[in-house]
Amino acid sequence: MKTKFRTIFDRLFTGVSAFSAVLLTAILLIVLGPMIIKGSTAVFFRGTVEFRKLQRDEFNRGNNTELEKEIEPAEKTRRFVYEIIDSFKRGVDPQSLTDQVRQLNRQYGQELRSKGITGDDYRDLREAARQIRDKLEETFNSADKDLINENIGFVLELKKDERFKGTAVEEMFTIADDFGRAIEEIDLQKREKYAQSLAEVEDILFGSEQMPGLLGPKPGDKLPQTIRLRYGATRWDVAKKLLNDLLYPVQWVEIENGKPLVPQRHSRAEEFEGTRLEPLFAYIENELPEMLKPKLTFYWQYFVDKSIDSHYFGGVGPEILGTILLTITAMIFVIPLGVISAAFLVECSANNLIIKIIRMCINTLAGVPSIVFGLFGLAFFVLYFLPAFGAGPKGSILAASLTLAVLTLPLMIRASEEAIRSVPQTYKEASLALGAGSFKTFVKVTLPAALPGILTGIILSLSRVAGETAPVLFTGAVAMGTLPRSILDPTMTLSYGSYNIATGDNIGMQVPHKQFGMIVTLVLLILLLNAAAILLRSRISKKLKGMR
Amino acid sequence: MKKMIAFGLIIVSLVSASHLTAAEKETLQIQGSTTVGPVGEAFAQYFKRAYSGLEVTVQKTGSSDGAAALIDSRCDIAMMSRFMKPDKEFKLAVEKGVMPVAHVVAMDGVCVVVHPSNPVKELTSEQVREIYMGKITNWKELGGTDSAIVAISRDTSSGTYETFHELIMEKQEMAAGVEYVSSNPQAHARVSTTTGAIGYVGIGFLDSKVKALKIDGIMPTKETITNGTYPVARPLFLFTNGYPKLGSMKHRFCTFYLTEAGQEIIEASGFVPLTNY
Amino acid sequence: MSNGRLDNIIEPAADKNESLVLTPLQDLKGYLFYHVGRLILFLITCTSVLAVLLIFIFVIREALPFVKGASIVQFLTGTIWHPQSEPGEFGALSLVVGSLYVTVVALVIAVPVGVVSAVFLSDIVSFRIRNIVKPVIELLAAIPSVAYGFFAIKVLSPWLMSTFGFPTGVNALNAGLVLSVMALPTIISVSEDSLSAIGRELREASYGLGATRYETLFKVIIPAAHSGIIAAVILGMMRAIGETMVVWMASGNATQIPSPWWDLSQSVGTITATIAGDMAETPKGSTHFHSLFMLGVLLLVFTFCLNMTSEFFLARAKKKIGKMA
Repeated sequence: MKTKFRTIFDRLFTGVSAFSAVLLTAILLIVLGPMIIKGSTAVFFRGTVEFRKLQRDEFNRGNNTELEKEIEPAEKTRRFVYEIIDSFKRGVDPQSLTDQVRQLNRQYGQELRSKGITGDDYRDLREAARQIRDKLEETFNSADKDLINENIGFVLELKKDERFKGTAVEEMFTIADDFGRAIEEIDLQKREKYAQSLAEVEDILFGSEQMPGLLGPKPGDKLPQTIRLRYGATRWDVAKKLLNDLLYPVQWVEIENGKPLVPQRHSRAEEFEGTRLEPLFAYIENELPEMLKPKLTFYWQYFVDKSIDSHYFGGVGPEILGTILLTITAMIFVIPLGVISAAFLVECSANNLIIKIIRMCINTLAGVPSIVFGLFGLAFFVLYFLPAFGAGPKGSILAASLTLAVLTLPLMIRASEEAIRSVPQTYKEASLALGAGSFKTFVKVTLPAALPGILTGIILSLSRVAGETAPVLFTGAVAMGTLPRSILDPTMTLSYGSYNIATGDNIGMQVPHKQFGMIVTLVLLILLLNAAAILLRSRISKKLKGMR
Repeated sequence: MKKMIAFGLIIVSLVSASHLTAAEKETLQIQGSTTVGPVGEAFAQYFKRAYSGLEVTVQKTGSSDGAAALIDSRCDIAMMSRFMKPDKEFKLAVEKGVMPVAHVVAMDGVCVVVHPSNPVKELTSEQVREIYMGKITNWKELGGTDSAIVAISRDTSSGTYETFHELIMEKQEMAAGVEYVSSNPQAHARVSTTTGAIGYVGIGFLDSKVKALKIDGIMPTKETITNGTYPVARPLFLFTNGYPKLGSMKHRFCTFYLTEAGQEIIEASGFVPLTNY
Repeated sequence: MSNGRLDNIIEPAADKNESLVLTPLQDLKGYLFYHVGRLILFLITCTSVLAVLLIFIFVIREALPFVKGASIVQFLTGTIWHPQSEPGEFGALSLVVGSLYVTVVALVIAVPVGVVSAVFLSDIVSFRIRNIVKPVIELLAAIPSVAYGFFAIKVLSPWLMSTFGFPTGVNALNAGLVLSVMALPTIISVSEDSLSAIGRELREASYGLGATRYETLFKVIIPAAHSGIIAAVILGMMRAIGETMVVWMASGNATQIPSPWWDLSQSVGTITATIAGDMAETPKGSTHFHSLFMLGVLLLVFTFCLNMTSEFFLARAKKKIGKMA
């Protein structure tokens, strides 16, 4: 072959192999990059005043007086929103008005009974009140302006009756009055559409039964049980998205028959054109920063806090602790087992059948899938082994770490074996020549010399143990629990937590940054552990090099 | 090296010692279905705040595992998204002296969803069945666009799958090309990102990214599920060993769904409370 | 002679006040210590044997009822996996094929990239760059499988759907791609080890004859190391087959053999994902439950055979290097 071709091939090959290294780095960046970027928003974000309220209530953090000073102007700005919606609602929401007059009617009955009015008087009064209620219900639900005005007029006539003064019925009159005035401006044909749209607007602003809103529940409303519904948007990016949904709702419209629907945004302000509600939208758009007061927050307590409301708020502190505990305990089991086994295989081995069988078993162990380990851990450690010591058949850190130790044992043995084998024979021979027994030689000479390699094995095992999900699933991990008091308690871990959020509930959909945050925390933790071990290894290597 | 080992041993022994000296707190162990899991967690959260001496642990390992744990007395309350199988689990429980008592805490509706860009708005249960059996393969046969139908189902051992299988599939087999996902969020993610997809999720997973279809003319809402008109709904259970003693923490947990606070939490978790609180 | 460092490690016999001849008691003690010590070490090493035996026993024990109750032939050759129907159909062939599909895709990508990278690391690049690239590989190996699974469904799947217009983004291709990234570190490190183990003589001889680097590597070194590289590939294959989390999230879990057979954009189901996905919700003691363990046995047998093959090749590599030295 001509020399030119050969050099071309050569250069090409060098280029291709360099490219493969670049490819590896690129893959690493592609895999880690998006996750780290999205996960960092769990710690760095623009937090609103709602977030600071949450921190104060749940974690007693932050200066209360300062916070109150912040909340006051925010509340003032919000008041306009509440008022405008309330006044519009009176004309539009027949269901709530109906509920109100029903409730007032019942109240009136109770009032009468407590005043001691009985007999015919009672019946007459109740009958009259009931009539008013029915007329009003008819009014609220009708679209006929004439009928409404007629009914309202009829009801307001009854207002002049002295007997109703100071009772619940008087409130009914106020409602009727407000209603009469409110509907003057509203096109009753559109009322149903208004009601539906208004319901959406309220859901976005104050939160529905399932999702929190922009501003949180109205002051004075009953506080919801679920914590996430008690606050408005705690992050500015979520707030902006909600604002967008509020101002420009999406509708999927058909452009062409037989083609997929196309999303279209239209302005909600246009929907309410000409009504009292119209100025609301421009107001909210302009004043939202004032209402929420976003500020750049560095939420480093994410790594320390416990999760509030199934990870909707709060952090991953207990999970980090759980992962660290689990890893350390598993390492405590696997390091001695691994190093001793490796020592045996290197020092005391003859090439006979037994050693071959042992090696075969170690390699088979390396190939068992992690889910089988999980089942094995459940059946053996949780149900059989630990109860034999009186620990009760429940999952625990101990059971999970034992399972994880068995999982990484082959890795540890292999790495340790490599390390011990690579210690130069001369060390051993010198030590033996000086009169030390083989045991002493091993412990005092070979082992320290092999330490860097063993540390590599420890590093690899650490990463494996911290990241495994399937083995801890059945043996030691809980979705929610307290901080473990001892190794006989189960715990929450980062790996299980990430898997849980991804497959468990709709939290993952609502707070994706929490999902990514947990995974990134896991990766960062593993990297930190790796870095610590690598540092340790280089220090020991340096010390060893100095010894030579 | 030695320092590391000594350090580790000290930590472990300290932690173990604390277990021996800590006061005995009352514990409640809850294990079972991943569907009912969020309700269990939310209840547990509430209880931890309300009763300071109580420790609650929640494990989400699956309905079958929850049943097995209750039978082995490994947990106090088992969450299950289906009833105990009479010939396997129930019988085994009775043999071991465990009398399972079911408490229905909420209803879950199985909603058929498609991508929002899909023009199809409603289907009959017959049509859904034929889609999953592989007889209908293109949306244009149903009045939609000319694109392939990607059918997505929950894995065969999930309770959601069983409900769907029984009430819509009428126990017929699904076609081989049907994709299986292992959880509600995954099903939701698949349908919301694939324009030709059809799948089914629990009612708590309906949001703007997927579109729920009317089945036989009924839209899945809180009302239609509670009054029984929506056909594909199923109850969610908590199982205990016998009826829990009145006034005990277990009893309070199992009857929490009857309180207004409990029903509010159930609704916030994405399920349908049993009454119109 | 007192050298500060060596003093506390080994005491020269001359410093001891003991005679150099052992008393019978000391002799016996030494003998006992030696052999009992060995025995203890042996027993500790056997924990791994014990663990493997226990795992095998446990898995086989739970799989036996399936062997008795249902048909093995159908299991191995049937393609329909409907365990919950009555009667249940347990044809695992589609699952086996699914596992094979994702593994083959993974290897097709990982082996060339891995071997070339290993060559790059062992032969071409300077020590300094090697020290930079090695951590990158270790990092890739350290990322937990859950993180890879996330990446597969959140980043890779939408990208595949938008770039290639697949109807679904979770398919054999997706799972195969991610698995290849997971198998890469294994393949690279083992290949690199075997490439480095070949002494300098072979390389120097080839260069001495005037071969370019490319020719040396491809015509001399890689063939010389081929046993080691095959062993690396097999280890990577084992990693890919045994991986649970990633395939569960990324492969779609449809129990079908893609038709046409070359269509990678279709969803496939693997053995590991089926075991993991079905295990939680299957009633204990049902045929379905036992069939999952049967799948586990299948997996174990398969990985065992792969192990044997890899051992064989590694032994051949060692022999060859021994011969060359």
